[in-house]
Amino acid sequence: MTRIWQMLLLLAALAFAAGCGSSSSTSGGGSGGGTPVNGGTLRAGIPDNPDHLDPALSYTNEGWEILEATNNGLLTYKKAAGGAGAQVVPDIAKAMPTVSSDGRTYTFHLRSGVMFSPPVSREVKPSDFKYSIERLFQVDSGGVGFYTGIAGAQQYAQTRKGDISGIVADDKTMTLTFHLTQPDGTFLDYMAIPFAFVMPKGTPEKDVSTISQWRVATGPYMISKYTPKQQIVITRNPNFKSWTTDTPNGHLNEIDVSIGVTPDQSVTEIADGQLDWYFESVPPDRLTQLKAQYPSQVHLFTRNNITYFTMNSKKYPFNKLAVRQAVNYAIDRRALVKIFGGQGTPSENILPPGFAPAYVAHNFYPYNLAKAKQMIQQAGVEGANVTVWGHNTDPTPQAVQYMAGVLNSIGLHASVKTEDESVYWDTIATQKGDPQIAFNDWNQDFPEGQDFIDVLLNGEKITSVGNNNTSNTDIPAYNKMIDQAREMPLGPKRDAIWAKLDADYMKNVAPWAPFMNRQWPKFVSPHLQGLVFNGNYFELFPSMYLTK
Amino acid sequence: MEQRGGWSLAWRRLRRNRAAMVSAIGLALLVFACFPGATLWANYVAHHGPNDQNINGYVHEGGKKIPVVALDGTPIGPGLRGPYLLGADANGRDLFVRLLYGGRISLFVGFASAVLCVGVALILALIAGYRRGAADAVISRGLDLIWAFPVYLLAVALATSFAVGGIAMGPIHVSSQSLAIPILVIAVVYIPYVARPIRGQVLTLRQSEFVEAAEAMGASSLRIMVSDLLPNVATMALVLLTLIVANNILTEAALSFLGVGVPILTPSWGNIIEQGSAQIYTAPALTIAPGIAIILTVVSLNVLGDALRDALDPHARLR
Repeated sequence: MTRIWQMLLLLAALAFAAGCGSSSSTSGGGSGGGTPVNGGTLRAGIPDNPDHLDPALSYTNEGWEILEATNNGLLTYKKAAGGAGAQVVPDIAKAMPTVSSDGRTYTFHLRSGVMFSPPVSREVKPSDFKYSIERLFQVDSGGVGFYTGIAGAQQYAQTRKGDISGIVADDKTMTLTFHLTQPDGTFLDYMAIPFAFVMPKGTPEKDVSTISQWRVATGPYMISKYTPKQQIVITRNPNFKSWTTDTPNGHLNEIDVSIGVTPDQSVTEIADGQLDWYFESVPPDRLTQLKAQYPSQVHLFTRNNITYFTMNSKKYPFNKLAVRQAVNYAIDRRALVKIFGGQGTPSENILPPGFAPAYVAHNFYPYNLAKAKQMIQQAGVEGANVTVWGHNTDPTPQAVQYMAGVLNSIGLHASVKTEDESVYWDTIATQKGDPQIAFNDWNQDFPEGQDFIDVLLNGEKITSVGNNNTSNTDIPAYNKMIDQAREMPLGPKRDAIWAKLDADYMKNVAPWAPFMNRQWPKFVSPHLQGLVFNGNYFELFPSMYLTK
Repeated sequence: MEQRGGWSLAWRRLRRNRAAMVSAIGLALLVFACFPGATLWANYVAHHGPNDQNINGYVHEGGKKIPVVALDGTPIGPGLRGPYLLGADANGRDLFVRLLYGGRISLFVGFASAVLCVGVALILALIAGYRRGAADAVISRGLDLIWAFPVYLLAVALATSFAVGGIAMGPIHVSSQSLAIPILVIAVVYIPYVARPIRGQVLTLRQSEFVEAAEAMGASSLRIMVSDLLPNVATMALVLLTLIVANNILTEAALSFLGVGVPILTPSWGNIIEQGSAQIYTAPALTIAPGIAIILTVVSLNVLGDALRDALDPHARLR
């Protein structure tokens, strides 16, 4: 399953506090304010290789965190924490695009003088953008679904020949026009996420993560070296000249990422002064101790996330609505939050609170084990064999065991299957491997209800491989509502539809057992300042600086 | 008479070995605690089973209500109380109850795999040692093949492959959730370590006069192996069995720790350590308690095994 599994929340007020870590005095600041200092090398750690360092293929927070610092698109999200960070602003485009009255044509004018990094070292042209979008289809990107609404994209996806007729690039006038098959209120978001970041025309139609001559940057930094399982070295891009405040120069001279640092190791190394920053969150069992011992170095960010168990509506016994509803009654969401170290808030909504007003909290399934047992009996599925799937990164195994225990307690016969996280997401996203019930976790690609409800529950988007609709939910009436909402401009009417669908799905379909909106606790070096937590790109490297 | 005399002599030697007696008593107590004791404790003292989750529950201690699992996910620690004597795990399960039930599984897997291993090794060693020639070549090379792999690497590889879809060979179907899989895997990887020394013993014995006499009397190969050779290697097999049980308990713990041993919902000492390792800082008892249980069991078995060897084989041919 290609997915962003660790995306961050933009709930304005919470993120303001979160961006300030334990101190709420500075917006986006990590461990205090002060004048940024230029220079120095950030010593970073990551548990394993990022999925890809190719914008067309990366679909994890680790990859996007790096690509935000190295690459650019026509548009970007404002490089700020909190609600401000959800605003789409121009990047390589001179200004926001002009949109036709029917909402189907977007015209961008590009800045002159934006250069690719060495060895390409030439100006970015509109045709590079056209090529970059077409390349998504050639490399089987997990992000192609965002761009199939461009006229001709569907045909291009099938034939992979010619070009996408709906993208018109004019390098002389530096103009790029997109023709859509139907209006799409979130098209601007699609232009701001890394899948739409520009790569030079002629970039090989394969993963270029480890091909240094094609791993070309446009941003303040470039990836100078990537040795899988060992190290990533990010240095300044000599061809970069800042063009907007949302594409700043960056303060650090270099970012050295050590690959293979475990979460526990990261805590020890940061405490010992051997590491400055870690890609992942603090292990749940270390948080309490760290908050007490290093209060100024612990930062708690809230993410636009929903953590849930997905129930496959095509597989017995979850093909029965009563069973899916019974599971929702049977889980104690507060207990599951405890398993996650208290790092979250209970929820039974599909959308996260940061999406308000599309988020309207509902409570259809108060904890009621007796009722759940009764529903299982009435559904006639007592004793049905069920395998609960999860990955092996703590505390997911504990959550999966909790769910198995709950299913056993309501009369099913549950066992557990855990897989290494590196293969888990892809496994549950294939119909062949699609489990009956599985741990799942979704973080925003972009801050809008469509990214959750359309991507995860629209029956028209069920695929055999790379299937984000792991519950295989397909309710034609709801699909139609989703399609209508997609065509609407962003705003209250559109939000109202997402809110209604959130409630309707959970009440009438119960495809998931949602249980928590997760938080993102980080532990950093006392010398690291300028932490800005953007819900789309996560912690922004260009904002970070080191003090002595 | 002579055979009974040998066993009697061995028993007398064993009784004189205080360390062995302490180990034997300790093991007996452990077996009692893990088998009838686990059920009694769960039913009459703790009032919950090994898989009962109680994350939002409380225990009353000194007039205070203490959560079994705190809001930050930290489970209650050890204390002098009936339920949660050694504390709870992240899922609010009673560690002491799980430790007792886990011991039941670990001891069963260790003993069953050792019996299977020694049984198969005995058969192979008798055939290879007595028949020699092609049979010996095939069996010995097969054992060499297993021996060529590092034990844990082979065990993990086998366990992982079986963990995906269980075992399906003709009419034999074993679920991936069955305890038979770790038992089989652990037994297989240690067969060469047991079969090799027994085969050597058989090779020596087959030159003995009593074997030649049996052959001269027209006894069949099977009869010679079962009636003449087996009793003479039984003591060696018994000693190896004791030692291999300890090895197998350790292997079970290692495989379960790596997630390919006993199914995750079944408590075993290895599983408990694996699940507790996520909270080693806030709840160290989750890993220390099963660790101590494994150490005590393995040390006891090794001391007993050594003593048994000394008692049965005073000339220490097995050393």
